[in-house]
Amino acid sequence: MRSISLVRRVALLAAGIATLVGVAFAAALVAILALRQADARESRSKDVTAATLRVRAVAADLDSALNGYALTGDRRFLTLFRTSRLRTPRETARLQRLVHDDIPQSRRSLLVRRELDDYLTDYAQNVINIASISRAAVRGPAAGAEDKRRTDEIKSTLRRLLVAENSRARKASLHARAVTKVAIAVGIVSLTVSTALILLFGWWVARGVARPVRRLAGAAADVAGGDLSLRLEEGGAGEVGALVSAFNSMTRSLALARRELQTQNEQLREGERHKRDLISMVSHELRTPLASVLGFTSLLLQRDFPPDEQRRYLEIVDAQARRLATLAGDFLDVQLLDGGALMLVRMPFDLAELVREQVQLFFLQLTTHRLVVDLPDLPLVIDGDRDRMSQVVGNLLSNAIKYSPEGGEVQVAARRSGSQALVTVSDEGVGIGPEDAERIFEKFFRSAEATKTVGGTGLGLAVAREIVSSHGGTLEVDSTRGQGSTFAVTMPLQAAPVVAAMAPAPPQVDRPVDESLHETVQKSR
Amino acid sequence: MSAEAPVSRPRVLVVDDEAPLRELITVTLGEAFECDEAADGETALGLITRDPPDLVFLDVMLPGLSGIDVLRKLRADPALHDVAVVVVSAWQGPEDIAVALESGADGFLEKPFRVDELASVARGLVGRRR
Repeated sequence: MRSISLVRRVALLAAGIATLVGVAFAAALVAILALRQADARESRSKDVTAATLRVRAVAADLDSALNGYALTGDRRFLTLFRTSRLRTPRETARLQRLVHDDIPQSRRSLLVRRELDDYLTDYAQNVINIASISRAAVRGPAAGAEDKRRTDEIKSTLRRLLVAENSRARKASLHARAVTKVAIAVGIVSLTVSTALILLFGWWVARGVARPVRRLAGAAADVAGGDLSLRLEEGGAGEVGALVSAFNSMTRSLALARRELQTQNEQLREGERHKRDLISMVSHELRTPLASVLGFTSLLLQRDFPPDEQRRYLEIVDAQARRLATLAGDFLDVQLLDGGALMLVRMPFDLAELVREQVQLFFLQLTTHRLVVDLPDLPLVIDGDRDRMSQVVGNLLSNAIKYSPEGGEVQVAARRSGSQALVTVSDEGVGIGPEDAERIFEKFFRSAEATKTVGGTGLGLAVAREIVSSHGGTLEVDSTRGQGSTFAVTMPLQAAPVVAAMAPAPPQVDRPVDESLHETVQKSR
Repeated sequence: MSAEAPVSRPRVLVVDDEAPLRELITVTLGEAFECDEAADGETALGLITRDPPDLVFLDVMLPGLSGIDVLRKLRADPALHDVAVVVVSAWQGPEDIAVALESGADGFLEKPFRVDELASVARGLVGRRR
């Protein structure tokens, strides 16, 4: 029942009601027809009775006239007889016409006619003929008996006709009354049932259509007011059920679309904020070294300093200008990372040697941090981009210095670990909370601690990880907030034969670096 | 000038986490001023409280306490209320200057600054106080 469509249901109900109303009208019609028929039957019976009575009167007239003539011989009786005789066929014909469709009555009327004909031709004419010769002959007891027999016969037939007609009329009337009764009963029942059906239909429309539609209208108003979480209980007949489901899916997709818009909006706003922060950050990061470069250059141009001071200031200018260059490089690298266009110039080289160089570069003049270096005697040959790997190690070293307090210890180690080269840089600095451990490798991300401590672009680690993974290596961090961090780089080692081939190359560079490094360690202690 | 320097040289504290910048300011002010340095807000606040200088050059972005925090603490302390403070910041934009001045800065220098401008700001503030 639930799945039948509303249109079909309404059509079915309307058809049912129409049929019932039709039945009621038909019943009324039947009753009216039955009554009319009974009426017609009755009036015909009256006609038949009247016609019968007239035939009887004619028969009586004939008999009286014949008897009168026989007794008196008066010719007036004969005239009377003749008049009546002329009327006879008309009356009998009328009777016959009236009962022609009623076979028993028709037979009786035919009998009456024959009896009358017999009476007239066989008997009355003879009596008249005999009487015209000898009246005495027709007045005897024999003649009287014959006359009586014939007239009784006619009378009896006519009586039977009358009785039959009466009984027919009564029967028809009874039948009409019964039919009327039944028709009225059928009419009343059909009207009652169709009224009930109409009421039921109204109730059903109210319940099955009006109520859900009202509920839907209310819900639609709520949705228009902005409440998109609203859902209607599914169900209801045919189209109404479909409407409710359609409404629900509409609100669902509206809610979805709105959520999407909100998310997009949020992302846009986030992006905008990000961009503003980025511009501020870039500006800050550029201005700080620029202040030193411009300031010292102005001083050197304006004033005369002793040569050693001049040299020192120039070194500062140089270092700060390099810092600017590195920044410019970082931004360029990010551009490359975004475009996926980081190009590696691969050549086999000793990673341990590279670490040594970088340590020397960073710690040669640095007295603020203690340095512990642990490098292997054998080279760690990898196939990679030496400049890019220098950038990675340099970034880790500069971070270790940048994010740890003065007097803090920085440990740098490199060793072979299976088929991998492992480089670790540990500090005793601000550290990283577990929630930021992965995010620090996102570009432009800077932890709250980092932001508070020193300036920075938030690019170094993102670029470093990209470089390392482009080499098939990994860059991971292990850190406890407030207690320092250890960054670990693993790189796949070059296969053994190449190591042998490479071995003779580096010794020239090796020694001075070792000496200066030794010096650095001494200095920082 | 060098003869009277030890007696009446105004004392300046340079607060910046960047060593080259501290050195730049110190060298710029030269012999006429007696310069002291601090790399973070806490150290700066300790030095100022112990022996208030005539003038402080204060960077905004410092590890730990920010320059603005240090400035507010100074202005809240009646004993240090009068110390002249020049905020030096790489942050651009009028709102940064507004925050510095509202927090009680006597001057604002934006990085990169001109060295002669720095010197004249220092001389002006110290001269006014004397």
